[in-house]
Amino acid sequence: MIRFDNVTYVYPTGVKALNGISVEIGRGELVALMGENGAGKTTFIKHLNGLLKPTTGSVYVNGKDTRTLSVAQLSRIVGIMFQNTDDMFFLPTVEEEVAFSLRNLGFSEEVVQRRVDWALKFMELEKYRKRSPFLLSGGEKKRLALAIILAWNPQVIAMDEPTVGQDNAQKEKLKEMIKQLNLQGRSVIISTHDVEFVAELRPRVILMSRGRIVADGRAEAILTDGELLSSCSILMPQVAATVSRLADLGFNTKVISVEDAIRSIVDGLRRLEHTRGA
Amino acid sequence: MSILEGLKFYAGDTAIHKLDPRVKLLVSTIMLIIVVMYAEVWMLTILITVQAVMAYIAKIVRRWLKTIRGSMPLAALVFGLNAIFFISTDTHATLQETLYYSATLAYRLVLFLSSFSIFFLTTTPEEIGLTLTSWRVPYPYTFAFISAIRFTPIIAQELKDIMDAQRARGVELDRGGPLERAKKLIPILVPLLANALRRAYELAEAMEVKCFGAAKKRTSLRELKMSAKDYVVLLMSLLLFGLAVYYKLLPILFQG
Repeated sequence: MIRFDNVTYVYPTGVKALNGISVEIGRGELVALMGENGAGKTTFIKHLNGLLKPTTGSVYVNGKDTRTLSVAQLSRIVGIMFQNTDDMFFLPTVEEEVAFSLRNLGFSEEVVQRRVDWALKFMELEKYRKRSPFLLSGGEKKRLALAIILAWNPQVIAMDEPTVGQDNAQKEKLKEMIKQLNLQGRSVIISTHDVEFVAELRPRVILMSRGRIVADGRAEAILTDGELLSSCSILMPQVAATVSRLADLGFNTKVISVEDAIRSIVDGLRRLEHTRGA
Repeated sequence: MSILEGLKFYAGDTAIHKLDPRVKLLVSTIMLIIVVMYAEVWMLTILITVQAVMAYIAKIVRRWLKTIRGSMPLAALVFGLNAIFFISTDTHATLQETLYYSATLAYRLVLFLSSFSIFFLTTTPEEIGLTLTSWRVPYPYTFAFISAIRFTPIIAQELKDIMDAQRARGVELDRGGPLERAKKLIPILVPLLANALRRAYELAEAMEVKCFGAAKKRTSLRELKMSAKDYVVLLMSLLLFGLAVYYKLLPILFQG
């Protein structure tokens, strides 16, 4: 679906933001891009729809080199939700904002109306359809940004720091939306620092540092490796940090959720009891 | 976009950076006056050479060239409009003269922008503020001016981000005729204006929290003081300016 082939990107200022990135993201995968500030996460995301083209190497989307397609053509396949959603809004109502992108991408007026209704319903924004986007709360703005993208039904959805400025309830809602989108068969890529959010989603984690991929694997493996995370200025999830202290007792420490932690502790205690009994 | 980069200060430890900001501003102003006075290519070339030397000493050649590159579309517009105006009106000038005159006008515009670019690239917003304050400009105006300079690169970055956000929604900014392209500016300018207003409001609140305007007389941690080097540069600039004025006035004096 998406393939980075030895991609290097150097900004006009001379900063090398990506340095020899090679990675593949398959259809229907849920991926979290993690890393410290300046690791290259946003630059990576901007390569997905051709906003940035590699300085060397190539990025392929559905087998096609991004250099050969326009941003508009690639956006049909990859929808990107940027960190600052305010950069998107300029129309007087929520429904017009959703319709605008569809018209840009050449959908017929009948399809536009149908998709606007569907996207607003899916993102629970129906009651705000006549409201100004600028008057929505932070969480509602994120949902509107997602509605705008979902309306044209891209195969890949990339979100840059979706949890920034969101309260717990909004994060929960966002988490459920991401799971639902992924269940529908879409590839979802989120770039984030929010380790607790990632731990709950249990995605594949691509860990970046200084423009390179330093680790790529399941969340359970990467988010429990304290040394690796700290080298990228990321803290372990609280659950993993707590359970890691029980490693000496032989407990399973590769856990990142509360349920797994309970299971690990119960199993560990049972084993200890059994050993003592024996 | 790159023209705005020319307003951004880049730290350095060069002789140009260390010059008193008042002297640097005076040098830039002198260059501006000479650009206004002279339309002759030889003088404009001398000026751009002086600027290139200054940029080299200040180690900002690449950024200075970026300003020049950024001013090219504007220069091309000035050239085109002038050429069209002169050709369409009965000025008795030959095509060659018209093109030459239009080219020098564009050249002068580039020089004007590049001379002030050196000043902004090597002078901190604080130094600009101190310069204006030393000229008894009321501090609220000084603050407004240095805030505008300080926020220029931020707004330039924001403009880039907004363009990216709109392109990701299928807006093809570089397609269509002039009217269509002008229409495509609306999705860019509305968020930019909304963000700028929001930032202005936040800045005003932050200033109030920091008791802006509470004391009538402000003190400053750093005061500007001219050194011997500053006086040398000042005298040399005034001397060269005097020569430029004299040379320009010479034919008029002789005629008289």
